[in-house]
Amino acid sequence: MATELDRAEERARDSIGRRERRSLGAVRAEDAAEFARASGETAPHLIDPRHSRFTVHPLYVVSLLRPVPGPGPDEVRPDGMYRDEVPGTDGLDVRLMAGGQEVRWKDEVRAGDTIDVFRALTAVERKGSGDGFLLITVEKTYRAARGVLVEVTERFIVR
Amino acid sequence: MSQVSQSSQVKSQVREVSQVSTPMDSVSVGQPVPPVSFTPDEVTLLRFGAVTRNTHRIHYDTAFARSEGLAGPVVMAQLHGCLFHRAAADFAGGTGRVREIAWQNRAPAHAGDRLEVTGTVRAVDPVRGEATLDLVEHCGPADGEGPGGVCCRGHAVVVLASAASVH
Repeated sequence: MATELDRAEERARDSIGRRERRSLGAVRAEDAAEFARASGETAPHLIDPRHSRFTVHPLYVVSLLRPVPGPGPDEVRPDGMYRDEVPGTDGLDVRLMAGGQEVRWKDEVRAGDTIDVFRALTAVERKGSGDGFLLITVEKTYRAARGVLVEVTERFIVR
Repeated sequence: MSQVSQSSQVKSQVREVSQVSTPMDSVSVGQPVPPVSFTPDEVTLLRFGAVTRNTHRIHYDTAFARSEGLAGPVVMAQLHGCLFHRAAADFAGGTGRVREIAWQNRAPAHAGDRLEVTGTVRAVDPVRGEATLDLVEHCGPADGEGPGGVCCRGHAVVVLASAASVH
């Protein structure tokens, strides 16, 4: 009898290579500064939007899960995670954890940039003993009008 | 009372940001990466989750986190990434920049844990003007002894200032 994890694996494998696009909206200096402060930064050029050398924190955009005005009530799982954040897991009683990331900057993210993120699930691996867990790899590309800004490889653990 | 102490804890973490670039010719394999540390408490996790719109309950709901087998609310992956980035950016200095960071989560870090990223220079590429740093993050109780256990391992690639542009 198939378990919820089996179903998640089957769904995830079926979606390998499917490309999705999501808008993150325009980058606001005030939001990036708030992010920097929340991450414990104290460097003035990261936390003060009026600083002459203000710089959008390089991890701000890749950490942002949703644009303003935030998600609707039907976009969230009972565990608080977004239904579509980890491909294949929507509606299933499985546990989700972050596995790690690789972030490669191609250009600077600037205040005012309108960001689109393109993502595709690229790998599904069954690990561990017994039922084990799934290691799901997602490739993301963050683009603005002038081109690619950041590439991310993100891994999720599904148990 | 605890709110006051938590606030003080955050304020005490103000760091000096180096405006001095690290010149390429001063970097060698095995050189240590100066440590950076941060102690995110429950307030930090709430703020970070709000600004990134991360609503996963494992980051703020103690009962839910325990039902998932965790000791309590856990630090977000992206917050670990911020500390890795800070270590790399501080190493590169003023006109250097971080081209890449990567980290793997090895064990959960919990609200109130002290996080510290340390590392060493793994490789230097004078042609590209880059250095690759091996980084590791330890976490443990803020009032505990020693660095605690390993919670993340990873690396960073930094583009360094050339000697000519620094001197």
